[in-house]
Amino acid sequence: MHERLNEPVAILTGVDKSYQMDAVTVPVLKNIDLLVRPGHFTVLLGPSGSGKTTLLNLVGCIDKPDRGEVVVAGCPINKLSDDELADFRSANIGFIFQSFNLIPVLTTFENVEYPLVLAGMAPERRKRRVTKLLAAVGLSDRANNLPGQLSGGQRQRVAIARALARKPKLVIADEPTANLDSQTGAAILNLMRRMQERYRISFIFSSHDRSVISAADDLITLRDGVIQSIQRKKAPVEDLDSVHSDFIDTQAGA
Amino acid sequence: MMTLSLAVRNLLRNRRRSVATLLALAIGAASILLFGGYSANIRYSLLTAYVTAGGHLQIQHADFYQYGSGNPSAYGLADYERVLQGIRQDPALRDMVNVVSPTLQFGGIAGNFDAGVSRTVVGIGFAPDDINRMRQWNEYNLPIEPPHFALEGAPPDTAIVGLGVARVLLLCEPLKVGNCPSPQAAEKATGARLPDDIAALSGLEDGANKKQAAAGPTKARIELLAGHGRGTPNVAALQVLQAENQGFKELDDVAVILQLKQAQQLVYGRAAPRATALMVQLHRTQDMPAATQALKALLARLVPGQPWTVMDFETLNPFYVQTLQLFDTIFGFIFALIGGIVLFTVGNTMNAAVTERTVEIGTLRSVGLRQAGIRSLFVTEGLLLGVAGAVLGVTSALLIATVLNRMGLTWLPPGSSDALPLTLRVWGETRMIVGTAIGLVVIAALSAWWPAYRAANLKIVEALRHA
Repeated sequence: MHERLNEPVAILTGVDKSYQMDAVTVPVLKNIDLLVRPGHFTVLLGPSGSGKTTLLNLVGCIDKPDRGEVVVAGCPINKLSDDELADFRSANIGFIFQSFNLIPVLTTFENVEYPLVLAGMAPERRKRRVTKLLAAVGLSDRANNLPGQLSGGQRQRVAIARALARKPKLVIADEPTANLDSQTGAAILNLMRRMQERYRISFIFSSHDRSVISAADDLITLRDGVIQSIQRKKAPVEDLDSVHSDFIDTQAGA
Repeated sequence: MMTLSLAVRNLLRNRRRSVATLLALAIGAASILLFGGYSANIRYSLLTAYVTAGGHLQIQHADFYQYGSGNPSAYGLADYERVLQGIRQDPALRDMVNVVSPTLQFGGIAGNFDAGVSRTVVGIGFAPDDINRMRQWNEYNLPIEPPHFALEGAPPDTAIVGLGVARVLLLCEPLKVGNCPSPQAAEKATGARLPDDIAALSGLEDGANKKQAAAGPTKARIELLAGHGRGTPNVAALQVLQAENQGFKELDDVAVILQLKQAQQLVYGRAAPRATALMVQLHRTQDMPAATQALKALLARLVPGQPWTVMDFETLNPFYVQTLQLFDTIFGFIFALIGGIVLFTVGNTMNAAVTERTVEIGTLRSVGLRQAGIRSLFVTEGLLLGVAGAVLGVTSALLIATVLNRMGLTWLPPGSSDALPLTLRVWGETRMIVGTAIGLVVIAALSAWWPAYRAANLKIVEALRHA
């Protein structure tokens, strides 16, 4: 149990990723080595096109690298089939998207409940869990509203509750505040931070907004598909950094 | 359950598109069913026409159907009365048989010698009271009023002719046949009058005929010449009571119907009377196979070694089978055509849904829905469209059929000489309704399959990037 707590939530080793645009192959990530610490609030910072989203996609197991290895929650994802990956995501990873990506025909309650339905949880347990989560994000009174009846900030709070529904090991948030005004964005950031601390879940999110830096435990700066720097603002949970100190130093100097 | 709920909500999400698709499905289903109802009515009308005229089954000499009309005496059924009684008393047949009646069919020449015209005809002898009972048969409750068979209770030397025979023999005026104008420039007949010896022969048949022969030109009279069993011609002078529509022009143009005893006397003279067929009309058409077996067993018992056979009305009337085949082919063609339209309509709708919901598909996959879950979702939507369209189509077809049936429209079937009520028989055609509905639902589900497959195979990151 002790070991699991210290286990990195994601390890990327020598990862390359490129996309094909018409006849041109565009390299997006180049030889990425990264360790995401458990129970930390990790921020990927970088300008548009730096590879933040692609890196999140790999860590979130919705894409696979062209080269290198991605291990998430101790599982090498390269070897998993599509269905195994789906089950793995369902059990281990929560997603928060820039455009909220709620299912428009489901109510707030049902959106949060959906991952639990996929997990086959009993209706009574589902109800208790969703009610608790909606209370945590302050949307108990909006349980029966459709996403179209909610404000941007409220929708993102629903998305946060949905991401946390299955108590994942890791929550991926791709520019979660980009579509919100600064005040709402700050509130959402604050909420995510509180949720991370409350549920002891690793959060990794991308942003090109430097104002989020203060919220981060670990700050990873990307530029042109390579990690420019890794700054760890807080002491590690255990002595994880010393275990991987060489790895981190190398990246930081890149 | 979640898949079904999501599918329903997704369909309701784009109501206009769903309604348009639903209407296409419903109109398709209704069209198929209305044509099927029309086709079913034709089937029942034809079946009823044949069964009321000749029964479901006929016992004949094995070769009569092919060769008998030219020489009925050679293929007549001797001692048929014994078989008739056997059928009426047989415990297996008694409950199935409605009417069993002998008939005699022969070829001859009918002449209106006062007008100097004649034509070849088919003479048919019937037992009039049996025919009136047979005409009451209406298993499918068609909106028809069976005409009374006028020979029942009439003198033995009376006859009924088809409308075509009445027209050619210039009997329309005395028989008061409507829509049957006399020829504009009918030349006086130049043919020889009935030869004296033939006239004398006719006179011998029934002395009373002589009186009627002198009754004057306003009376509808014909002389019917037929080949006698011994090869010599025989003539009967007949009083025509009415011209009756025989349902089909071919029969209308040749039919001379007379009483069985008169026909037997004409064909067999003083020899033992025979019948060319025993018509067996059943209460229910579905009993035909069982009745056929029972009749064959009875024949084997009563007339062993005789070349008697049992033929059903479909074999005796190839036109019936050909007509059904034609309508079945058209029905199949219409179903295929509409099925194709449904395939493309539902496919197009589902393709549009996949494109619109690409980001949503990416989201669902991100949160852990498997590819099969995405496929199920879209196929369920297609299935729901199919089910709703089929239900709406069936309901519409039933309503339209009810309204049209009450409008009292008529139509003239090909080959028929009389207009029939236009009836669309959808209600009660359970097999057709269920078959059409299931067919359309399956097509709708199939047409949703490809878009569903495409949706399930979308790359998650590309789906999430979709604008």
